[in-house]
Amino acid sequence: MEAPPVTVMPVTGGTVNMMEYLLQGSVLDQALDSLLHRLRGLCDNMEPESFADHEMVYLLKGQQGNPFLLRARRSLAHLATPWHLRYLGQPEVGDKSRHALVRNCVDVATSHSLPEFLNEMSFRMDHEFVAKGHIFRKGSLKVVVSKLFRVLVQGNTENTEPLSLSSLVELSVLAPAGQDTVSEDMRAFAEQLKPLVHLEKIDPKRHM
Amino acid sequence: MGDLNSISLDCGRKPEHPEETHSDVGRTCELHVPVAEGKSVQQTVDLLHKKLEQLSAVKQGSFFVDCETYHAAGPTSGQPPKLLYVMHNSEMPLSCMAMFEGGPCLTADANFDVLMVKLKSHFQNAKGHKVESRGARYQYCDFLVKVGTITMSSSARGISVEVEYCPCVVPGDCWNLMKEFMQSFLGSNVPELPSVFTAKPEGLYAPADSTDTMTQYLELFSKVRKQQVVPGSTVR
Repeated sequence: MEAPPVTVMPVTGGTVNMMEYLLQGSVLDQALDSLLHRLRGLCDNMEPESFADHEMVYLLKGQQGNPFLLRARRSLAHLATPWHLRYLGQPEVGDKSRHALVRNCVDVATSHSLPEFLNEMSFRMDHEFVAKGHIFRKGSLKVVVSKLFRVLVQGNTENTEPLSLSSLVELSVLAPAGQDTVSEDMRAFAEQLKPLVHLEKIDPKRHM
Repeated sequence: MGDLNSISLDCGRKPEHPEETHSDVGRTCELHVPVAEGKSVQQTVDLLHKKLEQLSAVKQGSFFVDCETYHAAGPTSGQPPKLLYVMHNSEMPLSCMAMFEGGPCLTADANFDVLMVKLKSHFQNAKGHKVESRGARYQYCDFLVKVGTITMSSSARGISVEVEYCPCVVPGDCWNLMKEFMQSFLGSNVPELPSVFTAKPEGLYAPADSTDTMTQYLELFSKVRKQQVVPGSTVR
């Protein structure tokens, strides 16, 4: 395989400046089956994918400013798949013309040495949880319905308890910066899930 | 260029003769290269190409390996700042490898580079320390040979030779074969079995993530970097 000529090699690889557009909501356990049923009808015709993931949230504290936060996720169902490392930027919620929360997003697939490597980088685990649920797609829209579980003993994903009596519902799209029209499509899709679930632009800061 | 031409990879011996030597690396293998006395890096590389072609090795495009250095910012309680290396290899164009010297290493996709940009207030890129090796890739039967010119801040610092014996993942089992092959074009400059392999209990090369190869390049590049110690120079 021939390497690309020197002049066209970017200084860094990867996809620069991807944004995540996000709407969130929740559904009570009693209504979960109806929601899944509705999603099966609305979304692309594929078998819904279910997942069980373990997510660890790491913080790197500097001398000043906010700590730097990274999320490391691994599949509990497919242990051999790569880990998923995710950086999320500051959410932008102020713009009324945009119907979704927007934040910068960097997704990296990594080898299984990730926790050890983050520790060496001076990151420390802040909290962890287990998420189990289903993923649906409609074009570039992604709908994740997941139930969150508290990990009772650090690192032991067998020993968990549900965090609440409801499931988290997230509708998201990844797009290059500036493509605000996707938020229109998201709003239209969210309308179709009412009244089972009300997907909203939620400012995480208001809940801290 | 004199003694800058040479480099040695840690193949278990010290570079007693700075003018000869070199690097190594490999999937199952290692390598090395001698720099002829009185010749420049480019002349030596040409000479190696000629020898390989005489063996009827076939040139198959080019390759590169590069290495960026990042310094951890912030309080390090008296210890020297930690250095994080991020490396790329044209053999695995969609991946990058992040390593701490002697510490854990991480294989990731190319978005890791973007993440390092986001982390710039915690890890600063020492731009002047970027080292890379570029050159031609040759195939000779089951062997892959990559002869590269090592550059740092656009000045040539030495030559790397990577030899890979593709059919085998147990370096100890094919070392003699590799050695013999290397002697055919490197003469007496053949290295010892690299320490990255002797240190492993099971002695297996890990082709899947190329960690062993990249570890050897990192060792080689670290030597190259140390050749240029300018007192009082600052790194940014």
